Amino acid sequence: MAWMLETIAILSPIIGGFIYGFERVVKARMQNRQGPPLLQPFYDFIKLVEKRAIQVHSFHSMMGLAFFFATWFTLAAFLCGPNILVGLFLHILALAFLIIGGFSVLSPYSVMGSLREIIHLMCVEPILILVAVGLFLVTGSWSVRDILSYSGLPILYLPLVFIAFVLIIPAILKKSPFDISEAHQEIIGGPEIEYSGFFYEAIYTAKWIEYVFVFAIVFLFTGVHWWLGLALSLLVFLFINALDNSTCRANFHQMIKFAWFVLLPLAALNIFVLALWRYVI
Amino acid sequence: MSAKIKSPWILHYNCGSCNGCDVEILACLGPKYDLERFGIINKGNPKQADIFVVTGPVTKRTRARLLRLYMQIPEPKVVVAVGTCACTGGPFRNMYNVENGVDRFIPVDVYIPGCTARPEAILKGIKKAIEIWKIKTKESIEVPVVIQKEFEETLSKMVLHGQTVDRRKIIHDLVNKYIKNNLEVTKCD
Repeated sequence: MAWMLETIAILSPIIGGFIYGFERVVKARMQNRQGPPLLQPFYDFIKLVEKRAIQVHSFHSMMGLAFFFATWFTLAAFLCGPNILVGLFLHILALAFLIIGGFSVLSPYSVMGSLREIIHLMCVEPILILVAVGLFLVTGSWSVRDILSYSGLPILYLPLVFIAFVLIIPAILKKSPFDISEAHQEIIGGPEIEYSGFFYEAIYTAKWIEYVFVFAIVFLFTGVHWWLGLALSLLVFLFINALDNSTCRANFHQMIKFAWFVLLPLAALNIFVLALWRYVI
Repeated sequence: MSAKIKSPWILHYNCGSCNGCDVEILACLGPKYDLERFGIINKGNPKQADIFVVTGPVTKRTRARLLRLYMQIPEPKVVVAVGTCACTGGPFRNMYNVENGVDRFIPVDVYIPGCTARPEAILKGIKKAIEIWKIKTKESIEVPVVIQKEFEETLSKMVLHGQTVDRRKIIHDLVNKYIKNNLEVTKCD
């Protein structure tokens, strides 16, 4: 158990691949289809190696690779580092590589996707930081290792923060209703449109790591009770997929309004009350 | 090699079809026929696609785009012509605005006839396309039919002069030249 977090950080592309494969099966079953096999993401991975990579220019391809490595490093810093805030700020940096790569080519879809990706950042990151602050107020520590050894249930103190976080997950993982940055068939993948072959593989794998990142945060909400954490993660996973299957795409005005005028005040209220209760009364 | 055939991503392009075949392709991807159980996704992006599914007789407005999309798909790639229109021109054959089928422009690997092609036929055709795709590699470069002659002439000239040959570059330049010279559609066309 001592090296659990490090192992998860190193194996995160494989774990994330399984999560993504399972998600595709679950989604297909929800739509009354058979769906692809569980190992489908890895088949895609092997196929993309055998494709020829068309490079637009070398900087663009490098940004794709940088996005992958930065996301991986972010997860490692988040899980094993002393402070989860560092992990969250590195998450912004990792997405910045994707955004700069998207802006560096002339394709209008790519540029549009990058603009929308910035809007995603604007909606997601304040709530992620409030999650970190809330967990600190409850457990008294910024590190994942200490939060996971907290004997109480943080979710009981942070119900509104948890709800805000769950409702912003579609924006982190680019799922409907908040999949505006990669909007398939509308702007065809957004910033990832010009990548092909090996370089698309980097982007594709980085998205699997994001799954591990998100469900690791969900896992933190139950403290030391890891069985409850697994159950909660599964519940959130099913909820996100049901939401993805049953909603249509919101436009970016709606996303910003929802994130800033509904979710952010909700989370802030929870933290405000908690802080009053902890430190004043 | 066996993992490769489990993940073909398709690009669907409509060059002037009546939307009959397109609806059938979408039906294939839907719950009843469920092409995704073979790992097939409808990627709207040529740079990440493997199988190029074309419907419709090639009209004047779409022919340049058809060539460009074909050039943007990285090797190995397979072309599937769905419907009688895409195979031969169908009921529109020899009309003034129609080019009589996809294979006048790009090399086609699988023809799926029918007006409209039934989902079962499309399923079988794509299965066949995957078998063809399995044999092709990164290096199997195919020349669009319209520039075949010029390509051979340029190649033999370059070989005679002892120049280094980059087939992809030659094809790319020739296609661009061809589109510029022959396929520009003006407003009054």
